[in-house]
This record gives sequence, C-alpha cells and structure tokens, in this order.
Amino acid sequence: MEWRLFLAAAAFYTAATVLAFVFLRSRDERWSEWMLRLMGLGVSLHLLSFGLRLSAFWSLAPNRYFAPVDSFFGALSYLALAFSAAFFFIEARHRLGILGAFVLPWSCVACWAALWAAGRGGTVETGLLVPELRSYWMNLHPLALMTAYAVLGNAFGVGLAWLVQDRQMKSRRPTELCYRLPALELLDRLNERLISVACPVLALGIAMGGAWAHGAWGRFWGWDAKETWALVTLLVYVACVLMRRTASWRGRRAVYASMLGFACALFTFAGVNFLSGLHGYLSQGAAPP
Amino acid sequence: MSGIELAGVSHKTSPLGLREGLHALGVPAGLDRLRVAGWTEAVVLSTCNRFEVYGVRPASASGGPAGEAPVSLDALLENWAGVPLSRHLYRLEGARAAGHLFSVASGLDSLVIGEAEILGQVKQSYESARAAGMTGKLSNVLFQRALYVGKLVRNRTGIGLGRLSVASAAAVLAERIFGGLKGRSVLILGAGRMAELTAKHLLGGRACGLRIANRSWARAAELAGRFNAEPVAWDCFPRLLESVDIVIASTGAASPVLTRPMIESAAAARRGRSLFLIDIAVPRDVEERVQEVERVYLYTMEDLRGIVQENLSRRRGRLDSARLLVSEKASEFESWLSSSGDGFGAGLRHSWRPAEAVAAPS
Repeated sequence: MEWRLFLAAAAFYTAATVLAFVFLRSRDERWSEWMLRLMGLGVSLHLLSFGLRLSAFWSLAPNRYFAPVDSFFGALSYLALAFSAAFFFIEARHRLGILGAFVLPWSCVACWAALWAAGRGGTVETGLLVPELRSYWMNLHPLALMTAYAVLGNAFGVGLAWLVQDRQMKSRRPTELCYRLPALELLDRLNERLISVACPVLALGIAMGGAWAHGAWGRFWGWDAKETWALVTLLVYVACVLMRRTASWRGRRAVYASMLGFACALFTFAGVNFLSGLHGYLSQGAAPP
Repeated sequence: MSGIELAGVSHKTSPLGLREGLHALGVPAGLDRLRVAGWTEAVVLSTCNRFEVYGVRPASASGGPAGEAPVSLDALLENWAGVPLSRHLYRLEGARAAGHLFSVASGLDSLVIGEAEILGQVKQSYESARAAGMTGKLSNVLFQRALYVGKLVRNRTGIGLGRLSVASAAAVLAERIFGGLKGRSVLILGAGRMAELTAKHLLGGRACGLRIANRSWARAAELAGRFNAEPVAWDCFPRLLESVDIVIASTGAASPVLTRPMIESAAAARRGRSLFLIDIAVPRDVEERVQEVERVYLYTMEDLRGIVQENLSRRRGRLDSARLLVSEKASEFESWLSSSGDGFGAGLRHSWRPAEAVAAPS
C-alpha cells in the first residue's frame, strides 16, 4: 500500500510537472490551476505513504521512534516530500504559476531516483536500523539537512526563473513568457528569503552531525568526504547571503553563486555517498530485520 | 413562442454621430420606453461603440402587459434615433443573438480587439435592467452566461493580454520588474505629452513619489503642480538616481543626459535594486551602453512601439481560437435553449451553467 501510494504521488508530481511545462507554452490559466491541484493530491498521498512507512518501520521495536531515512529510498522519498510540500506552499501563497516549470522537475527527479534506488536495492521494505544509527540524532541531523536541501532546490528554481526573466527584460523584446513569469524583484526577494531560511537550517544540521559524531566516535569533525562537501555547500550559500547583504552583489552573479551552491548540495547528498566511508549507510542498505 | 431578440448598431455598421444620438438617450430612459412598448424583459447595452437592445419576446399566450405583442425592436430603435436605420441596423434572434452577445462580452466585436472594458459595460447594462425589474429567467441566464463566457475567453485565450499603447506597455514592463508599483518612485527628466501619459499610467498603478526635473525651473514647477509632484532642480537629478525606481527621460537635449558612468556610480549606491529607464526622447537621452549595467533595464520609444505592434498582431492571432470558444459556448446555449423549449418556465433549474441544466433530469 505504501508503495502504491508512493507510485501514485510520483505519478501526480510528474503529471503536475508536465502541466507546468504545458502552461509555459500555452496561455491557458487552467493548466496552472490543475498543476496546483495535482501537487496538492500528490503531497497528500505522499504524506500518507510516508505515514504508512513510518508505522511499518516502527513496528520493529528497535526502530522505534526513529525516522525511516536510513535507505536511499527512504531518504529520497522524504526529500521529494519536503521539496514538493515547500513548492506547494510557495505556489499556493504567491500564485507564481509558471514557477512550476522551473522547480517541479527536481521533485520528479527525487521521486524517480527513489524509484530507481528501490528497484536497485530492493529496499522498499523497511529493515532494522543499523545500531549506530539508533540515536535521537537520527531524527534531527538528516532531516534538518534534507529539509534545507529541499528549500535550496526551490531557491534554485526561483533563481533560474529570475535568470530567464532578466534575459527577457534585457532583450528589450520580451516574449509572452515575460508576462507570465513573476516580476524580477519578487523572484529576487523570494530567492534571497529561501536561501536565508535554508542557511541556518543547513548550519544547524551540520552542527548536529558534529555533535552526533562526538557522541559516537569521540570527535566533532573528521574531514570525511560528506562532511567536507556539506561544509563547502554551506560556505557557498553563506557567501551568497553575505554578498547580497553587504556588497550588494545582487543580480546575475548572486544567482550563479546560489546555483553553484545547489550543485554542491546535490553532490553532497548523492555523489558523496559512494566516496564516504562514514556516511555510507545509504549505499550499503539496511540490515536484515 | 418566446425567444431572444436583438437589434443594434455598432462601430462596424454605423457612423459615430448616429451612435452618439442613441447613447445620449441613456439606459434608464431606454428601459422605460421598452416597458411602455410592451417589453417585459429587455437589456440596453449602450457604449460609445455600440447601442444594442436585447429583448425576450413574451410567450404569445400571455402576451405583454397589455395582452398584445410588443413593438418590434428595430422600429423602436429607429424611433429613438429619429432617422432611418435600415442600412446600419442588425437584427438577430435566438441562439444567434446569444452568440453575438457572447462575442461582444469577450471583446471580439470591439474596435480594439480583446479590450476589457466591454465586459464591465455588459455587466452594468445587465444590472441596470435587473434594477429596473426588466429581467426574467431567460435574460438572467443569457447575461450571466455572457459574463461567464467573456471571462472564460480572456482566461483561456489570453486575447486581452498585452497593452496597445506605448504608455501602458511601459507601465506593464515596470510591473514585470517591480511586481506592484505601489510605493515606487518615478523621476521625469524634461517634459512632454508622452512623458505625462507614461507617468499617468504609472501613477494609475499607484506609483508614488513623482519627481520632475527640467532645465527650466518654471516648467518643472508647472508640471509638478499638475501632477501633485515634486519639482527638482536640474543639477540635483543625478543624485536622485540612487533612490528612484523608474526614470522617464524626455528632454530635447542633443546629446545623452544619462551616461553610463552616471548610472554606474548610482548603481553602486542602489544595493542591487532594479532601475527601469524609459527613454522616449528623440534624439535619445540615455546612452545605449547603460544597458550593460546589471539590473538596469533600458527601453526606448522604438522598443515600446515594437512591443505594441507585437501585442496587436498577437491578439489578432488569437482571434480564431477565441471565436471558436465563443461559438462552442453559443451552441451549448442553443442546445439548452431548445431543450428547455416551451417548458423551460416550468422545469428550469436556474443554473449558472446552462449545460448543467441540460444534463439534469427534469
């Protein structure tokens, strides 16, 4: 059931993404409205699916009450959920219809990656949490980081939309796209706000990782690949925020910097799992129950 | 047999003078005269581009209040105009009249295709008729449906998108940069009708803090008085570039008054806020190279004209799909009309959407 609900949610996200692209090409407001509805449905089903996963996970006593993000599937599923929910709230609040085309593809990518991970590892079934992960930090450290990544992903989409709109306005021959994209200043403020919200969460997530490491391995920081890349990501984003605040480094360069930050975040989340010995839980899969 | 009838003149069929005469009559007077002539359900649509009367002919059994058939609409219109109208008048009945109203409400029959005002005018006409007690079930459904179709066509085809004047196109671009124009400040350099018009459009969007700089202090003060703006000494304007959001340049200067170094030094103090430069002067007031500065958006008169031209042709391109949608909705209305037939008075559930009334078992 959990699996079916997840598939349905993934299908709804994909359909919403397609609608967002159709809306990009057509001028019919209905596409955008349906996109929002499908996203709402997708997020609800996904929540339900995640709830079922939680209850299955907790049915094994040692797992109780830890977050089921110990496998690639679980982590990606949570990431997609956080991502989609963040977009749903932004969209419902600001009604920036066309933004979907810039943001939603990431939601789909996360879902498909989860499906791929599930197919590859066969780890949809929840297993026992490896003993090292049975810590209350399990509910804080990865969740905080993934939530930050989800918000940053949205910021990336908003930044992309800003770049397109900036090009439109600079061209002095704006196409129809210009009139359906949100205003430049609006996108800029949204981008800045999302990054400013995500940065402290990211920092907190990394700090909690350090605290966990101190408890588990007796040291705060070990320059493990994942740790290093998370730090690089954070530094890029902090630089981004500071530059905007102090050096009035807004405009193209600020957006490029935030995109670089997102590339780092992607690498930290996905790429490094295969390089990092300490953070290799995801790629190792769960222990048999 | 009851049915919808329409008689009218529009900008397509008649000279302005004739329409002005009918327009002067006024909607309430028109409705009164229709009542006297035996019409119990009628709506008068009177704008500067059209004068149309929609009536619902009462079922023959009951007749009008006097028990006889009402005077025909074209005879009435001719009477009001005081001149023969046969060459200018169009008459439509039933579903075709409804289709015409749908296309009018959608702005497809307007002088400026897709203009939005007409929808409000249709609404107003309908409300006047309703206030005068001149509407019934059929006219209620007809007009509410027309308002719905008018909105639908605009939303689905975007026929009303894109402004058709240079000044309003500039205002729309400003919105694309700043979002709302509320609280934005505007600086006019020089003077001129185009500058005034553009400023008016921006102020219509609630931009506030208008400043006017002119080489002649007297001219600046005079213009400022008219707009409730603040006159600025010419030498002071470069400093204002650090704080204003929109600059409308319209001086008669032979060489650019806004140069790249000026804008660059202002940009540093602006902390990355966008600056919108509208250059409507010929020869130009703003150096072309200003465009290269980040977050500075320069539009010249030529650019704005190009945008207006494009909008116009875009609207024409959408006309076909808009017409298709209108005719779809008209035939939907027609099938509702014929299915309700004679018995519609008895079995009709008053619905916003006639299609639902058709589907509902009676």
